[in-house]
Amino acid sequence: MGGEGWLFLFSVLMAAVLLFTMVFFIIMFSDLECDYINPIDLCNKLNQFVLPEMIAHAFLTLCFLLSGQWLAFLLNAPLVGYNVNKIMSKNHMYDATEIFRTLSGHKKESFIKLGFYLVSFFYYLYRMILALISGTS
Amino acid sequence: MGEQLPAGWEARWDQQNQAYIYTEQSTGQQQWEVPTQPSFPSQDQSSAPPPPAAAPSGKAGRRQYPTAQLQSMYTAQPGSFEYQNQGQQPQQPQHQQQQPAYGDASLSSAAPSFFTPGMAGGDAGAGAQGGAAYPQQPMQQPQGGQFQQYGGGAPVDQMSNQFNQMNMAGGAGGYTGGAPGAGGFEQKQLHAINTINLIGMQPDVRGLEAPPPPYLIPQSASVTQSPYNQPDPSYQRCTLTTMPATQSLLNKSKLPLALVMAPYRSVREADGDMPVPVVEDNVIARCRRCRAYINPFVTFIEGGNRWKCCLCGLSNEVPQLFDWDQAEGKPADRWARKELNHSVVEFIAPTEYMVRPPQPPVYAFVIDVSQAAVQSGMVATAAQTILENLGNLPNADNRTKVAFIGVSTSLHFFSLPPGATEASMLVVSDLTDVFLPKPVDLLVNLTESRTAIESFLARLPEMFSDSFTVGNALGSALQAAHQLIGKIGGKIIALTASLPTLGEGALKARDDPKLLGTSKESSLLTSASSFYKSFAIECSKAQVAVDMFLFSATYTDVASLSCLPRYTAGQTYLYPGFNASRPEDAIKFGTEFGKVLSQPLGLEAVIRVRASRGIRMSAFHGNFFIRSTDLLALPVVPLDQSYVIELQLEDDLKGPVVVLQTAILHTTCYGERRIRVITQAMPVTDTVGELYGSADQVAIATYLANKAVEKSMNGSLDDARNVVTNALSSMLSVYKNQVTSSAGASAQLAIPDNLKLLPLLACGLVKHVGLREGASIPPDLRSYAQCLLTTLPSQSLISYIHPRFYSLHNMPPDAGTIGEHGVILPPTLNLTSERLERHGLFLIEDSQNIFLWVGHEAVPRLVQDVFDLPSYADLVGGKFTLPVLDNPFNQRVNAIVAKTRELRRGVYRPHLYVVKSDAEPALRSWALSLLIEDRMDGMGSYAQYLTTVKGKVNG
Ligand SMILES: [Zn+2]
Repeated sequence: MGGEGWLFLFSVLMAAVLLFTMVFFIIMFSDLECDYINPIDLCNKLNQFVLPEMIAHAFLTLCFLLSGQWLAFLLNAPLVGYNVNKIMSKNHMYDATEIFRTLSGHKKESFIKLGFYLVSFFYYLYRMILALISGTS
Repeated sequence: MGEQLPAGWEARWDQQNQAYIYTEQSTGQQQWEVPTQPSFPSQDQSSAPPPPAAAPSGKAGRRQYPTAQLQSMYTAQPGSFEYQNQGQQPQQPQHQQQQPAYGDASLSSAAPSFFTPGMAGGDAGAGAQGGAAYPQQPMQQPQGGQFQQYGGGAPVDQMSNQFNQMNMAGGAGGYTGGAPGAGGFEQKQLHAINTINLIGMQPDVRGLEAPPPPYLIPQSASVTQSPYNQPDPSYQRCTLTTMPATQSLLNKSKLPLALVMAPYRSVREADGDMPVPVVEDNVIARCRRCRAYINPFVTFIEGGNRWKCCLCGLSNEVPQLFDWDQAEGKPADRWARKELNHSVVEFIAPTEYMVRPPQPPVYAFVIDVSQAAVQSGMVATAAQTILENLGNLPNADNRTKVAFIGVSTSLHFFSLPPGATEASMLVVSDLTDVFLPKPVDLLVNLTESRTAIESFLARLPEMFSDSFTVGNALGSALQAAHQLIGKIGGKIIALTASLPTLGEGALKARDDPKLLGTSKESSLLTSASSFYKSFAIECSKAQVAVDMFLFSATYTDVASLSCLPRYTAGQTYLYPGFNASRPEDAIKFGTEFGKVLSQPLGLEAVIRVRASRGIRMSAFHGNFFIRSTDLLALPVVPLDQSYVIELQLEDDLKGPVVVLQTAILHTTCYGERRIRVITQAMPVTDTVGELYGSADQVAIATYLANKAVEKSMNGSLDDARNVVTNALSSMLSVYKNQVTSSAGASAQLAIPDNLKLLPLLACGLVKHVGLREGASIPPDLRSYAQCLLTTLPSQSLISYIHPRFYSLHNMPPDAGTIGEHGVILPPTLNLTSERLERHGLFLIEDSQNIFLWVGHEAVPRLVQDVFDLPSYADLVGGKFTLPVLDNPFNQRVNAIVAKTRELRRGVYRPHLYVVKSDAEPALRSWALSLLIEDRMDGMGSYAQYLTTVKGKVNG
């Protein structure tokens, strides 16, 4: 198995982790709607994962850039840009005082990210298999 | 036991005799034997003892036992009592019974806000213009509108003619408050819709005081038919007094649906306010499913043994002691129970409603003692005011605790041990990791340590009189105060005269003048430091509220500091350029601070609004922390603060009536856990026209103010103003197209009579200092204005948006004298400088400030009489205290100013400014900026605003 195979194996794992993070976020948001958790605890919990998620995704994108996987890189670059913009304008953290007003937006964002990670998961899987096949043949 | 009893009987367990006692509900007769015959209140019930004194006479007994059987009896016999009642007075809708609120002959003839179908519009207008200075063009009322439905079977033309006559008499003030229709109509009542035209017409500003359109709920909706079964609008009002049946209807109508409430509003007996009735017997009947409280709109079924929840429809058991007078030890009249007769009622809650034993009121004063604070005289005035009000702090059971922290570059704690005569000061200069220098005696019992506290307060100003420290570690001091009182909860009152520059939550002077007037300006209206939000959350968790008193002569970053009161249910007070050597400043602050201190507190409160199935609370505005989707947390409920709650319809509304119930659970400062419940019933409609006929312009303006402020923080001020204008124009456009059904462009701007002042209020909002366009408004003033826009109750808010304007030099002879309802105020004028005369004396007030405008040709006699100065030239503009002189005119002006200052609920004492018409341009243009019907720098007049709106409606 060549470098490409290893890269995409790593990507598949990362995408799976990011996928689960998003599922976790969505579950937490619906818990909030059902009153199972109060907004303060929710924000404290989720805020621990916000930066790691963004860093993980940025790292993955950087790997694609360095290994010259242009398509994969271009696929991920917009999200990195979006995240960086959020951090620059300092609204990447969840704010317990505003959470109910912004909840629908957060949910929408999480669902879109979930979809994105799902698509990328299968794309990486496909690329990994391709790499494995070309490696063995 | 109960279910085996015949109808009309009730069993109660008698503790003394260890046996059941049976009560015949209709007569109150009791027996030990098990009854066998059902007791039916029959038609001759009308001779039975009348129910509560509050019930309308003439129907005594009719609703005495509205059990299921009875209701079926009534509905099955069309010739019964209520129909006869209707037959006798077939055409007497309630509007007619009202005297015109502004019964001015010229007004009622000059208000062609009605039409006669078939009559040409122009003719009616010409005939009705009378003394009006502005051309008014009535518009054609659409055929097939609401009048015909109202009249039932009456001939259409005759009926609508009569109806129009009635409205002529009623005018804008012709609505009853909350009372349902008096005629006993069981059929659906509708609001009258009178279309009027806005263009070219001067608004009648006197209509701003009119009550909202009535809640036209059927008589039978309430079990007791008490006149108090709907809340006073000052407690709670809805933007629509009729609920749309579906969300799509609401969306189509473009009308906002929101509750505007001030549940903890003050009771001013001088205004005829009724104290909130208290249910003292610990019997709290609540629905098992939706947890709603029993209220005047429930129905009793199964012979009165069960009650049906009016919110979710579940049948619940009536509590055992519901009909039992525990104090007297005898059966009580169920229909006299306060919760069945009053919309606003307070229950004393048993221990199940307590998380912990009721906590005492606790006050922690954080006082800025830096050079700026001492020099402005703030420290001395504050210490003096606290000292004077120590006896007024709520302390009925001697449990109240207080603590004092002085803050500059370090924290000064004061040890006030009980019995001591002197306070000792402890200084902590570590600002990063705040700790308390002493575990005890910092937070002390007010009664026990009274001597030490008094001597401390007397000495406080001189302790720091030679202070030269510049710098303010407010954030750290607040953290220390939180450590002090966090275990109990209570109120932190922070007084600061400089920008916090040290320790946690340090701020920078970020008020870059280059940002003003640009789209970046809104960044100055939001918090600069996350500390003030995260600390607010900590406070809210610990049941601590923060009040901010800000005094700085320079930038204090009100936007950041006001976050604390916003999320902890406190309040922000701003005294720009405070200088205690000016008596006006000292009196204003002293009065307001004193009122804040002596206010009763509602501690550890939560507010929850419940509503009939299908209605959901979707957004919340006001000072509190939203703890869950429908629960608002308020560590301390202040008096007279307003909250706005937006509503959505998740499901279509089924019944003819929906009920909204606000419950506020709180601990009084006397150690009682109480639940204040406000219940409101509204009819449901499925027509857009009826929604418009029932819209409440004051509530809509309050809602728009909150929405606009929210938008200005998340978007820009431009967006905020657009929120207001777009909301207005989309309403008017729907009204034009769907209610008056006139398609295409029109030279007129149609509006229902009950909303005719909404455009003026919207214009006032977009020109308000909190939202106005322009690069000259300091961010602190803007932020403070926004705080007020989102917290003032409607009563004050309306004059804050649309100031009152009086002409004093030619006021009627009775103005300023004592009349039946206190001092008589002069007639209010339209807010336009056309009314200003060069020789006149005018008063403009916006509930926060009073301006006395003196024309430059004012005769010396007038100046002498009012100001005790020889001539206009000797008069100096600015803050002013009117002298009390021995002449009637001076006394009348003084009476009007005094009346204006106490006209509204709340702690505010407006400053009085003298404005000379040809001097002090800044003050002059401030006063003129309140005349919102005029053009002012860059912003169009009211007429131009209407033209803009018309453009949007037609385009
Ligand atoms: Zn219920």
